[in-house]
Amino acid sequence: MASRLYQWIDQRLKLKPLEQTLLNEPIPGGASWNYVFGSATLFLFGLQALTGMFLMIYYVPSTDHAYDTVQYIQQEVWGGWFVRGLHHWGASAVMMAIGLHMLQVFFDGAYKRPRELMWVVGVLLLAIMLGFGFTGYLLPWDQNAYWATQVGINMVGSVPLIGDFLVKFLRGGETLGALTISRFFAIHVAFLPAIIVFGIMLHLFILRRVGPAGPHDEARAKAGSETFYPRQVFMDAVVMLVVFGIVSLLAFSVEFPLADRADPSDHSFIPVPEWYFLFFYQLLKYAPGAWGPLATWLLPTLFFTGLLLLPFVDRNPERHPSSRRVVLGAGLGFLIIVFGLLSISLRDLYAVPKRDPSLARGMALVEEYKCQTCHRIHGEGANLAPDLSYVADRRPDRNWHLQHFKDPQSVSPGSFMPKFALNDKQLNDLTNYMLTLRSE
Amino acid sequence: MEDGLSTPVGTRRSFFVKTTLFISSLIGISLAIPLIGYVIAPTLQRRNKEWVALGKTDELPVGEPKALDYAMTEKDGWQESHTTKGVWAVKQPNGEVTVFSPICPHLGCGYRWDQQDRLFKCPCHGSVYDINGTVKAGPAPRPLDTLPSKIENGDLLVQYEEFKSGLAKKVEL
Repeated sequence: MASRLYQWIDQRLKLKPLEQTLLNEPIPGGASWNYVFGSATLFLFGLQALTGMFLMIYYVPSTDHAYDTVQYIQQEVWGGWFVRGLHHWGASAVMMAIGLHMLQVFFDGAYKRPRELMWVVGVLLLAIMLGFGFTGYLLPWDQNAYWATQVGINMVGSVPLIGDFLVKFLRGGETLGALTISRFFAIHVAFLPAIIVFGIMLHLFILRRVGPAGPHDEARAKAGSETFYPRQVFMDAVVMLVVFGIVSLLAFSVEFPLADRADPSDHSFIPVPEWYFLFFYQLLKYAPGAWGPLATWLLPTLFFTGLLLLPFVDRNPERHPSSRRVVLGAGLGFLIIVFGLLSISLRDLYAVPKRDPSLARGMALVEEYKCQTCHRIHGEGANLAPDLSYVADRRPDRNWHLQHFKDPQSVSPGSFMPKFALNDKQLNDLTNYMLTLRSE
Repeated sequence: MEDGLSTPVGTRRSFFVKTTLFISSLIGISLAIPLIGYVIAPTLQRRNKEWVALGKTDELPVGEPKALDYAMTEKDGWQESHTTKGVWAVKQPNGEVTVFSPICPHLGCGYRWDQQDRLFKCPCHGSVYDINGTVKAGPAPRPLDTLPSKIENGDLLVQYEEFKSGLAKKVEL
């Protein structure tokens, strides 16, 4: 049935030659698992486009609704958490796929003549993907989104001469707010997709014009070739399934809840960028004073310029790694620096003691029960009952506090502290907070 | 030419083709199910109906339609909105109260009570109903829609519902 329909259409549209061109592209040296990264990247990009479109069904890009709509997708829409999870983890996966794709091309010397243009377009595609990451990060409008974008925009501000203008241009005004989120949204879902689709088509067009590079080993390349279909297509499909499985599994099992709603007045929030920006985040910590601005704009500019110029600077026609020691050594050095910085950054992040959420609840109880009507804590409150600023120094015993809150007079005879009706959880939260009140 | 470097043929070829098709369908289906559900789920959600007190029944005049405000908090996706709908209540001589939906069953306009002619009239397409909701003139396909109502402790309680317009039968939306 399907084949008869195809025949019917083919008789009219003459699809056979097109099919031949698309599928019978010869691959020198035959199909290989080395060539799957480009397809994996394209697949993940498609997954991002698809899940992104579906997220747009409920998302509203405005400072007063964005957070609520993402929360709605996450918590109320059937499968919403999964769709959002796919988009979130898919974003990370596409960055990894691009990294692996570039490494393979770099290692195999596939960027060399006559494929310089394919490499140049690829580097621009990488820049666009980073643009997707940057603009998409703001959209949920939670604390992380707000403050990380604030930092990102300020980095752009360090560009000499036009920095101030760029900052205003990105924000759409003086502050990060309503105009920023709507322009980031438009860039994320309309401008960048339009540009990248063109870029991807160009990348593939060049591939078809110059043909795949094949193995760096000339003997293997000359040994023969096989067509793209069916074996390379099969390998690509297997990898897509594996990638899809991993992303789905992550979306399914690792929750990615929103942080609190963006609060421009809360300067205590410490934003953390996505992992693929972490190495750079770490690097900025080592750029002292006057060097800071250079690190924030000069290094990225040099990095992208270097990538763009790579095929024109490295004109050694040899593709075999053994004859490209200098270039490969430089690449390896770069990787060591990036992964070194990434691992330092990850180690530092996880070394930060996570704040116990019960402390915030304990503090809220102090407010709720108006403890400071009698007690003073760090200069705030009345002086009728003992000052609690350093209460844990005097009373380090957890049980004493628990007992004291239940029945003050049982451990502190003559105390005029009233009994408060606290449940076990509240007792614990309040006690946890009391035990933090000490002179270090 | 070495083995394995030529394009596969025969059963080997059909194995690759079939596996590729299988994998594509597998990915397609595992994406389609959550995505379709994601789009459709909110459309299948029923509005939860609440009994809302509109006032004391003894304040209603017998045999005279009275416009009452039905105030409700509507959960509209991710936002909650407070809306007020005006409904028509007619107290019968036996003390029971008939409550009419404010929407004309013809095409959904709001109709009014004409005190002089003692008729409900819809300004849009000229449907006319008597005080019992029976069609007296115009294109209306069915009588005015009544809303579920009950009286508890002298309070008139009403559930707001909407019905498809243009049908001879009353079908809830």
